[in-house]
Amino acid sequence: MTAPTVTTTPAPQGAGSPQRSWGDRAAKLWHRMTTPSTLPLMGTLVTLILMLVIGQMRYSTERRDFVSIKLFSNLFVDNSYLLVLAVGMTFVILTGGIDLSVGAVVALVGLVIATLLPTGLPLVIVLPLAVGIGSLFGFMIGVMVHYFSIQPFIASLAAMFLARGLANVVSVQSVGIDHDGFSALAGWSLKFGEGRDIWKINSSMLVAVAVLAVAYLLLHHTRFGRTVYGVGVGDRGNAIQLMGLNAGRTTLWVYVISGTCAGISGVLFAFYTKSGFNLTGIGMELDAIAAVVIGGTVLTGGAGYVLGTFLGVTVYGLIQVMIAREGLDSWWTKVFIGVVLLAFVLLQRAIARKKVR
Amino acid sequence: MTTSPVQRIVGAVWHHRLFWPVVALIVLLLACQINSPGFLSIDVRNGALFGQPIDILRTAATPLLLALGMALVIATAGIDLSVGAVMAISLAVSLTYLQGSASAGEVPTVMAAVALGIGVALLCGMFNGFLVSVLGIQPFIATMILMVAGRGIAMLITQAQITTVTSAPFKFIGSGSVFGLPTPVVIAAVVFVIVAVIVRRTALGMMLESIGINREASRLAGVNSRGITWFAYALAGVLAGLAGIVYGAPTMAADANNIGLMKEMDAIMCVVLGGTLLSGGKFYLSGTVIGALILTTIERAVIIFHLPSQITPLFKAIVIIAVCIAQSPELRTWLHKAGGRMRTKTPPSAPSTTASTSSADDPRKEVAVS
Repeated sequence: MTAPTVTTTPAPQGAGSPQRSWGDRAAKLWHRMTTPSTLPLMGTLVTLILMLVIGQMRYSTERRDFVSIKLFSNLFVDNSYLLVLAVGMTFVILTGGIDLSVGAVVALVGLVIATLLPTGLPLVIVLPLAVGIGSLFGFMIGVMVHYFSIQPFIASLAAMFLARGLANVVSVQSVGIDHDGFSALAGWSLKFGEGRDIWKINSSMLVAVAVLAVAYLLLHHTRFGRTVYGVGVGDRGNAIQLMGLNAGRTTLWVYVISGTCAGISGVLFAFYTKSGFNLTGIGMELDAIAAVVIGGTVLTGGAGYVLGTFLGVTVYGLIQVMIAREGLDSWWTKVFIGVVLLAFVLLQRAIARKKVR
Repeated sequence: MTTSPVQRIVGAVWHHRLFWPVVALIVLLLACQINSPGFLSIDVRNGALFGQPIDILRTAATPLLLALGMALVIATAGIDLSVGAVMAISLAVSLTYLQGSASAGEVPTVMAAVALGIGVALLCGMFNGFLVSVLGIQPFIATMILMVAGRGIAMLITQAQITTVTSAPFKFIGSGSVFGLPTPVVIAAVVFVIVAVIVRRTALGMMLESIGINREASRLAGVNSRGITWFAYALAGVLAGLAGIVYGAPTMAADANNIGLMKEMDAIMCVVLGGTLLSGGKFYLSGTVIGALILTTIERAVIIFHLPSQITPLFKAIVIIAVCIAQSPELRTWLHKAGGRMRTKTPPSAPSTTASTSSADDPRKEVAVS
């Protein structure tokens, strides 16, 4: 199916053999880009580019371009916690599940850090412990889903209530974090550039990128990753069985991964706000789900890319930036996220219909 | 093996789907009664009933209204996450209309305001239904759009302020009483009866269930699955609008940010506690009522036990986990196996371990069987 279908696109003038091969390659790439499985990702990319172009035209001044490294640097200073959350959520959604507990876990983790640090426990114990709390919640959801066949929605809803309730038990007030080591870690950054164009890479961004890299390797280069996709196909594991993979406890593990990511995200959020508060992260799980969906992962599971999630978070952050630049109230963000979500869902739907035919 | 009638009745009660939810409700109520004697007493003042049980009923009206619509949506294997946002929108519309009108204290104006609020809620439900039934978008994501955007829309309507009005008839909807019962209870009861009659005295309920079990098969069998699914979402929207008005009427303040926040979760919890599976198919309206009562009783119990009200989510979590695990087929088969082995007199330690590992090995198989 390679040659005949592809060469229908006429090669540009000068049909010499090297040019044609280039044309072929371009056509092949085009073909690959427009297959149903990558089309949502392309949609995300197009949206991103479109937003950047609009932003560049509207907000650039004589002195400074809107699209700059500084823009992306600021964007990920503000959203690195969301990226980690969304990466974890991608695993769960790929298996056709959902994890509603992550926002509440972020709040609980932040509060635990804020209350444990003043007791004099060293940072090397507190931070892993905080991440461990996330893993524990993930494990709990996983056990309920895997061993008791409770629907992921309800199991994670229960975990959400549990985490939120525990956070309320810890404290109902905002607890500031005043700890030298913690502040040093949160405030650490590499600075580049000069004057007003200064941009930085901080510790949260490094952590987020590391999580993204690990997730990418895990999902696209291991048996486990294949199995995650296989479980999401939803034919009771027949397909993966035929591939010689064993579903086993994959369902359990994806929730542990998501919970761990929520734990890490809680730490990053504490870095960001330098405090713990029991009401943080209400609706954060939906932001994460929205970012995953905008990133081209299908909610029924089985298809999607973790790098798409990265693009999804970028689109999400860019919407926030542009709303702020327009001087609109922050709740407009919600309306716009809703509109973008609608557009992407319609796109996914159109693609799915095409696939069936 | 012969079974006596008593055994049969006990068996029927034990295996009844509402057994665990009702037990949970009774335990909660008794715990409250033991903690504060007189909890369950009701007295009559000024021709109206007063007391904690009545108050629980009054508070349960809002989640029940939401949950009735939700139950029908869940029966079609769907979900409606937007109900909380729709509550905020409908209350915002009603109160903004009242605020703008000169005769806010008169009954016709209030009726117009309520009709307007519910009308907008109907539009919201129609939008959800359109996305789900016509465009075929997954319900979770389709209704999430309105959940995310809806609160922004409510903020637009109220101009990001807390709209407050003074209107006696409007307040009556939330805190008045009819025949001695609080108005919300009467409204919820009437809605329950109407929904139950529509759904159970016609073929509609069966059609909803058939759509939830197999949409394609029911379509081929001649069920108008598109129209019926659309109807379910529209009804859920209307009931959410009504719930918003009932919920906001006592304070007569439309706080678009907080009205109905997380109420969709409460509504889904009511439905699930009532024995309806989120995967669709069979749904139970009476179970939903029990679910709404359990939810409200938990909230009340936290106050009765003098616990800080922020702990409520913790108790909700415990009850959800307990009821879901008690209802899960895995546990029942496990208990059954463990019980069976006990009777055949194997050493008591052995059966539990073997049974647990065997159920751990193939949970999917057992789901398929059940």
